Amino acid sequence: MDSSNDEALDIIITNVVATFRVRCHLNLRTIALEGNNVIYKPEVGKVLMKLRKPKITASIWSSGKIICTGATSEDDAKVGARRLSRVLQKLGFRVRFSAFKVVNVLAVCSMPFAIHLIDFTKKNRPIASYEPELHPAATYRIKHIKATIQVFSTGSITVTGPNVQNVATAVEEVYPLLFECSKPLCK
Amino acid sequence: MASTSRGDALALPRVQCPNHPDAILVEDYRAGDMICPECGLVVGDRVIDVGSEWRTFSNEKALKDPSRVGDAQNPLLNGGDLTTMISKGTGAASFDEFGNSKYQNRRTMSSSDRAMLNAFKEISTMADRINLPRNIIDRTNNLFKQVYEQKSLKGRANDAIASACLYIACRQEGVPRTFKEICAVSRISKKEIGRCFKLILKALETSVDLITTGDFMSRFCSNLGLPKQVQMAATYIARKAVELDLVPGRSPISVAAAAIYMASQASAEKKTQKEIGDIAGVADVTIRQSYRLIYPRAAELFPPDFKFDTPVDKLPQL
Repeated sequence: MDSSNDEALDIIITNVVATFRVRCHLNLRTIALEGNNVIYKPEVGKVLMKLRKPKITASIWSSGKIICTGATSEDDAKVGARRLSRVLQKLGFRVRFSAFKVVNVLAVCSMPFAIHLIDFTKKNRPIASYEPELHPAATYRIKHIKATIQVFSTGSITVTGPNVQNVATAVEEVYPLLFECSKPLCK
Repeated sequence: MASTSRGDALALPRVQCPNHPDAILVEDYRAGDMICPECGLVVGDRVIDVGSEWRTFSNEKALKDPSRVGDAQNPLLNGGDLTTMISKGTGAASFDEFGNSKYQNRRTMSSSDRAMLNAFKEISTMADRINLPRNIIDRTNNLFKQVYEQKSLKGRANDAIASACLYIACRQEGVPRTFKEICAVSRISKKEIGRCFKLILKALETSVDLITTGDFMSRFCSNLGLPKQVQMAATYIARKAVELDLVPGRSPISVAAAAIYMASQASAEKKTQKEIGDIAGVADVTIRQSYRLIYPRAAELFPPDFKFDTPVDKLPQL
């Protein structure tokens, strides 16, 4: 198990996606013309605004719903969201920060061993799926924690889940399964 | 006039025995008579005979059975559709003065199943292009029917679902076709077929076996015109390469293509990477990459009884 190893596995969170509302209608043209670092996409109907610190990209819709991506932690996402609403407030809109929710967390982790994907898929037949023609990784979906793990043959895995806690649990859960199908370290 | 069994709306005169008006008449269809069972009186005669108009002999095996009408039904897939349709006319009499055909309105036969029948036709066309046998087509039709009735993939293009069903059927029968091969006979992109494939597996809650390099050897080698020896050698090479895990993370198709390249280069029938790439649907740089991985151990990958036209150390090194 993970805790019995000497080295702990480093789970690096690479992306946190959060949504929130500002509770007021936004005029995308005004934001596009007067804001800094914005890209206007009229065919879709949204404005992309990039913040430098924390480094996030936000998609802003005229209804007042905003999706904030690119943060590296849940707190960062919240800080970025608040900073974003401050920018909108300075542009003259009557914003009210509400309904902040982290929707997706993406983390990568690297196992110290390579993995034999065909064995892994055979052992976990319905839950794991591997289509080498479509994607080089095997996908393992854990239903009860709603996390998806993509396992590569080099031993790196990417985990996506609704929050950081789930991601950590998913890694704990999948580690023993991966260890069973590990290739010997000397190749 | 008393014994009308139905309601008074139909006041049709019914034949009945004058002595026994309540008796139910027995029909003798051979003679065309209606006979009263009580007294034996023949009440109605010259009743229309519904027997057959031809004689059938027991020893004669007629290719068509004259007492059967219409095409063989497909009850598994259609649910027993028995309507008669008016087809487009032939000959001059079927057109009215403006050149439009009379009876232009073909009654829609079963609108709920029309999309399904269309899909079956499409499946049949696609399978015909790559010469798939009847059992795969039947399996594909069954899969499509199951998916269609479930309605969980209702928003997707029917052609995409049909192509994905064809792919799954080939897999399930043990003769997988690559996605690119299915793409070649379908108008749907590989990405969409892949997406539908995953959705169908989830909807039907089945899974398929993993593809191996050996599944494609016979097809690729025959298309390239390689002799049996080379094909067997390539199969052995690919299997050994996967067992020794020389090619981790490579698609089995690419490994198969590289194995074919190695085997053909060692034999008298040398094929270029481009030719193999064309047949297998892999880029020739991909073949080059996989070949580089298996080249160092080439000597142990060949089968022991292989006759080399070009010895192992003279194999091309890219």
